[in-house]
Amino acid sequence: MGSRNTYIGAVEIGTSKVMALVAEHTGREIVIIGCGECPSRGVIKGSVVDYRAATECTHNALELAERDADERIDFVFLAQTGGHLEGFYNEASVNVKAADNMIEMEDIRTVCELAKSKDLPLGRMVVHNIRRPFRVDGRLVPTSPENLVGQRLEVGYWTVHGQEQRLADNIHVIRGFNLEVRELVLSSLASGHMVTSMEERQNGVLAIDIGAGTTDFVLYRNGAPHTTGVVAVGGGHFTNDLSIGLRLTEAQAEKLKLRFGRALVQARDKAEKVWLDGNFAIGDRQFARQAIENVTAARAWELLEVVKKRLGHAFEHDSCAAGVVLTGGAAKLPAIAECAAKVFGTQARLGEAPTWVNENLRDPGFHTALGILYYGVSAQGDRAALGRRKGGFLQNMTRLFAST
Amino acid sequence: MSKDSITLPESRTWREIPQEVKPRAMSPEGRRRLVMRIVRASVGALVMGGVAWAAWEVSAVVRDPSAMPDAAKSDRIRSLVLVTDGVLDRDWLARTLAIGPNATLMGTDLMQLRARVLADAQVKSATIARNFPDTLSVRISERSPVARLMAQDGGAQPAMLLVSRDGVAFAGTGFDPAMVATLPWLDGARLTRRGDRLEPIEGMGAVADLLASAKLEAENLYKTWQVVSVARLASDSQIEVHTRDGMKVVFGTTGDYLRQIARLDLLLDASSDPTRPLRAVDLSLGAQVPVAYGTAAPTIDAVPAAPPARTVAQGPLIILPAFSNFQTEAHRGI
Repeated sequence: MGSRNTYIGAVEIGTSKVMALVAEHTGREIVIIGCGECPSRGVIKGSVVDYRAATECTHNALELAERDADERIDFVFLAQTGGHLEGFYNEASVNVKAADNMIEMEDIRTVCELAKSKDLPLGRMVVHNIRRPFRVDGRLVPTSPENLVGQRLEVGYWTVHGQEQRLADNIHVIRGFNLEVRELVLSSLASGHMVTSMEERQNGVLAIDIGAGTTDFVLYRNGAPHTTGVVAVGGGHFTNDLSIGLRLTEAQAEKLKLRFGRALVQARDKAEKVWLDGNFAIGDRQFARQAIENVTAARAWELLEVVKKRLGHAFEHDSCAAGVVLTGGAAKLPAIAECAAKVFGTQARLGEAPTWVNENLRDPGFHTALGILYYGVSAQGDRAALGRRKGGFLQNMTRLFAST
Repeated sequence: MSKDSITLPESRTWREIPQEVKPRAMSPEGRRRLVMRIVRASVGALVMGGVAWAAWEVSAVVRDPSAMPDAAKSDRIRSLVLVTDGVLDRDWLARTLAIGPNATLMGTDLMQLRARVLADAQVKSATIARNFPDTLSVRISERSPVARLMAQDGGAQPAMLLVSRDGVAFAGTGFDPAMVATLPWLDGARLTRRGDRLEPIEGMGAVADLLASAKLEAENLYKTWQVVSVARLASDSQIEVHTRDGMKVVFGTTGDYLRQIARLDLLLDASSDPTRPLRAVDLSLGAQVPVAYGTAAPTIDAVPAAPPARTVAQGPLIILPAFSNFQTEAHRGI
């Protein structure tokens, strides 16, 4: 890219909305210069089901963001979610080769490749290989173990993989705008990075991003992602339950959910009624407040229970001292933090963007897009650093010409 | 366990998903971006190609002069074209340039030729251009003379020089002798040689203005002016004019020339008595015009057409003091 500034697009194709941010990357810092948002169509539970509709709204969001930034996007970091994403853990160990037992880069490379090499079922593709801390003779090494002395080097990878067609669909939506997808970033990693601090990740924290169609979660331990997952249930299901339970349209149920929904039942009086619209127009009806709260609370509890169940033994109170952090559009549901605290038996809070994030971008709806930028740029930097270490002059020149 | 001892299974990553999309699957904006990208890439490739081709051509010429393009490999110069605003002609150009018979267009140093042309002080500016395949084009701007003088450089014969408005003295090639004969002689000026050139005479702008005004507004008077002296120009801001009939007229450079010439004309008309001819008129004092009358008018034939040339000292070239007899008589008159 030379000395020219790079304009990066961060795109999240969600179930309820498509969010696009444009950031100017100077090589030293990232400045958000444009934002575009468009109601999502053709996307169910994070997966594209109507290519044309999804393309149209995504491109609208990209155009809005470019217009807002007054710059053209060079490439895109794309958020990835959906029920097709799964993860597994695989670890490997090697004996240190050097006679003096000093760990060399070759040992590290070997153990990493061994830990990452596991056959995937047909039609599955790796989205992320998340490395857990190294262990040297059982001793935890959070950073590089190079030049440490030991006999046995161990490492584990949490590998996130997804269905090839679903991944390709998402990529092709962006390619339809003639933009290259430079990084796929797991939504949970993106939002998790934004709403948790380094200290919390070090102590252990569970970040849950409750979107409209999916709920993404990531459990951090020892400062690194330990386990990730996606549950194909989101805020949209709260609305759906209300719609069925109270015999309402989706729009009416959504309105009731936003006005009276709670993650814990608060109303004690069964006779307390609330109006659907409150304008006394024809068709305006009354509903029992407790009934609404019962539906949303039951769904919220169930959703968090599913997350807890998916985490299984990975979630332990001792290794998750910082508790649970909730973000995403559905995390605006009142009392959701208290509900999470009860389900997980630990402290819980609503996630907030770091203080350096501009006031206009502090809404939970922006957390994933901001996280994509942060995570994508970090991944690019890591890859460039790895390339510099691995490649010789000739390889670098070849790469330079290939990239142009 | 060594990496070399086992075969690791290859996991497919999302980066293996081809990102090529057919244009029909693109949105209109995407297609527009694609077209723009192709256009930009094409223009970039063309520019790069053009630069590379030019560099290759230049390097080929540098390596092998026989690979020079036809224009550069021009034949010898077959014709000279002169464009001028004066009187110099093609023969003068040929003499001045002194181009050899086998000189080629590209083999000729234009800067050197221009220096030769400009060596003639009659030429004010010159532009020389190659017109392929065999023509050398010279465009010059010439100086026009406003006066003349006789000068002698060392032991050489006295020679007449013409003086232009900017004070440059030059030999005056190609001018009509009849026109040159109408020019007044310049007196009191000092010529200094610097290198191959003569320094411009100072104050010639004022003299040129006076002569131009007289020629334009009172040609009958101008025709009688034989000598213009700038001896007192620097000290008294005066220009002395000596007429063919022995009258001295002093003009002030600070006043309006037209007004002074009009006064002179009026005086000459008023004093038409042949027994008391005007011998001196001083117009430099404004409304007050001292005049001196003589007793007998000298005949025009008595006035020499040109002053006898006198040798000047080596070093600075000194203009000959012209018409000393007139100066003497004029001073006596006043």
